[in-house]
Amino acid sequence: MGYDPKNPMEGRITDLGPRYYGDMLPPVIKENKGTWLYHEIIEPGVLVHVAENGAKVFTVRCGSPRLVTVNYVRDICDIADKHCDGHVRFTTRNNIEFMVDAEEKVAELKATIATYGNKFPIGGTGACVTNIVHTQGWIHCHTPATDASGPVKAVMDDLFEYFGSMSLPAQVRIALACCLNMCGAVHASDIAILGIHRTPPMIDNERISGVCELPLAIASCPLGAVKPAKATVNGEEIKTVKVNAERCMFCGNCYTMCPAMPLADPEGDGIAILVGGKVSNAKSAPKFSKLVVPFLPNTTPRWPETVKVVREILEAYAKDAKKYERVGEWAERIGWEKFFEKTGIPFTEKSIDDYRLAYDTWRTTTQFKYTSHTAAYTK
Amino acid sequence: MATIDHNGTSYEVDEDGFLLKGADDWDENWVDYVKGVEGIAEITDEHQKVIDALQEYYKKNGIAPMVRILSKTTGFPLKRIYELFPSGPGKGACKMAGLPKPTGCV
Repeated sequence: MGYDPKNPMEGRITDLGPRYYGDMLPPVIKENKGTWLYHEIIEPGVLVHVAENGAKVFTVRCGSPRLVTVNYVRDICDIADKHCDGHVRFTTRNNIEFMVDAEEKVAELKATIATYGNKFPIGGTGACVTNIVHTQGWIHCHTPATDASGPVKAVMDDLFEYFGSMSLPAQVRIALACCLNMCGAVHASDIAILGIHRTPPMIDNERISGVCELPLAIASCPLGAVKPAKATVNGEEIKTVKVNAERCMFCGNCYTMCPAMPLADPEGDGIAILVGGKVSNAKSAPKFSKLVVPFLPNTTPRWPETVKVVREILEAYAKDAKKYERVGEWAERIGWEKFFEKTGIPFTEKSIDDYRLAYDTWRTTTQFKYTSHTAAYTK
Repeated sequence: MATIDHNGTSYEVDEDGFLLKGADDWDENWVDYVKGVEGIAEITDEHQKVIDALQEYYKKNGIAPMVRILSKTTGFPLKRIYELFPSGPGKGACKMAGLPKPTGCV
């Protein structure tokens, strides 16, 4: 029965939840679920898992741009139909995984994937740069300070060699969020690209009474910069808000709550780079990423400044870190002053925390190393 | 910005059909219009109770009530509110009551 707009509740099916994942498992996974003995990375992008009874499953991991068309999904389905009995899965970083149950099938699968050119690049395993977890950007969101798909394409193009190899000390997770809502993994990634604003919101008094719940806009400000105010519109006094620009740090939370307070600005908006976060519990506890580059411009369409900084950080890390050491563990071991020296990133006062619990992030010890940066400060 | 005409009155609305001028433009005729688009057969006393509660709270506090407060003041559990307004308290009831469109990560 078709949907009847006059009778929206008629024949309505609801609260079904997602499909049970077990319905979609390849037979070899279904049969050996819970009995996997060990796994190996045979080569970049290809894994093998061996079960207790000797059954093997070979996984070929391919990159994807995350934002894809139905035609692209159909291409994935064609490959899965041809080699994997119609089974395929996506990873938590939006890579595609094709699974086969015999080693000789891997070569055929890879040959088919290769016929698509660079549509499905194989890689993303082990100590590599795998897919970038990212957000909506200018494709679909209304609060971004930068684009998502564009910078991700630019950065992955530049770091492509690291996707299909496993030459780094440990896996490097790069994430991007187009505003500091940080949808995704920016706050806990090895290298994080974050869209930021540098101008306070503009208040549209003509619209504000109709579209805003003022107390929400006031309460949305982490620094108490938004205050109630009165304004005159067409000779009538209305309730509105005012923003103390000296207190505003351009987070954009008030715009999220109130459509009459836009703050996006082509010149002011750009990208900040954070590094050193991780979510795993391996060796050291999970860490938040820390701000190292306060601002890079939005240079469409290739974001060369951002691409350059990300590569510099990655290469300094690859050269200097010990095996198994994540970016954050490396930076903490050598000291952040050394991190700035080795990466060649200029240290700015913007990296010094000044929000509420800031004190704990300052140095309360005499233990530090002299670097070119400290030399410059003490000259 | 779009304009909606219903029974001879015109209303300025946004792309989701919320009143742009809020309480200034709201009247019973607007309720009758939203009734049609929300698939509500008839405005009962219960519908009216929810609308009144929303408007009263908004007038007093400048914000829409939290769902739990709406349930508490009207005495209707969330399930009942959905039965009355199939689109829910935000898209259904707030629109009908002439409150601003809910914002944030919704």
